[in-house]
Amino acid sequence: MNMDGERKPPFRGGPPPSDGGPGGKPRGARGGGRRRFLFRRRKYCKFCEDKTTWIDYKDVRTLQNYIPERAKVLPRRISGTCAGHQRQLMRAIKRARMLALVPFTTD
Amino acid sequence: MNTYETVFITVPTLTDDEERTLVGSLAQVVTDGGGTLVANDRMGRRRLAYVIRKCDDGIYTRFLYDSLPSVPKELERRIRISDKVLRYLTVRLEVEWAVAAKEQAVKDALARAEAEAARAMMPPEEIAKTDDDDGDDLDDEEAEAEDPGGSWAEAGSRREGDS
Repeated sequence: MNMDGERKPPFRGGPPPSDGGPGGKPRGARGGGRRRFLFRRRKYCKFCEDKTTWIDYKDVRTLQNYIPERAKVLPRRISGTCAGHQRQLMRAIKRARMLALVPFTTD
Repeated sequence: MNTYETVFITVPTLTDDEERTLVGSLAQVVTDGGGTLVANDRMGRRRLAYVIRKCDDGIYTRFLYDSLPSVPKELERRIRISDKVLRYLTVRLEVEWAVAAKEQAVKDALARAEAEAARAMMPPEEIAKTDDDDGDDLDDEEAEAEDPGGSWAEAGSRREGDS
């Protein structure tokens, strides 16, 4: 889970997680809420589709797709990238960061 | 023999002449060390993703070369001494990718030479005309198409979270 050295931010106050008790939203209020996820499009590795053998660290446009707002690396569970390509992608992003092509973080 | 790629960022305050001598001397290091420089690619001026040594912009240059490991070592030593270079990165390319990269570099060089030749063939009045076009900023797209490094550099002019 924490292979790329990212830590979850410490929990800073905010509303406690709802347990469906009084005050919280009643459970199952949205009828068939789960159904929406049943037909979600299956994720796939975009690099495998293009038969990419090397992810170029200079190709900022491609890398940008995997760098969301806070400039972290987009996790595999969201992008659907395969393990091998995710590893290459991570390396490319880290190289691009060193060359100031891509930010380490946004301030 | 390995294939290496070195990208380095020089300070934006260099004059064209200073930049040319610096890049030239670094290219000299590669050839003197018995390496063959496949591409000496000026990628252009680009906005840095974060400030380095109080510089907002940098000029990116890429070397692609075949050599023994001693060459990148010497090259990096030279770069480290120079205070004109903000950052550098050397990567050894895997064999299969190196072949593709070199082919691409040769193709790029040919395309550039062709563009140059086409320009040289043009009668002087037309050259004056195109130069004029570049000056008055009306046809941005055309200007970008002419300069292969242009679009790359343009893309970086915006910094994330700058708003």
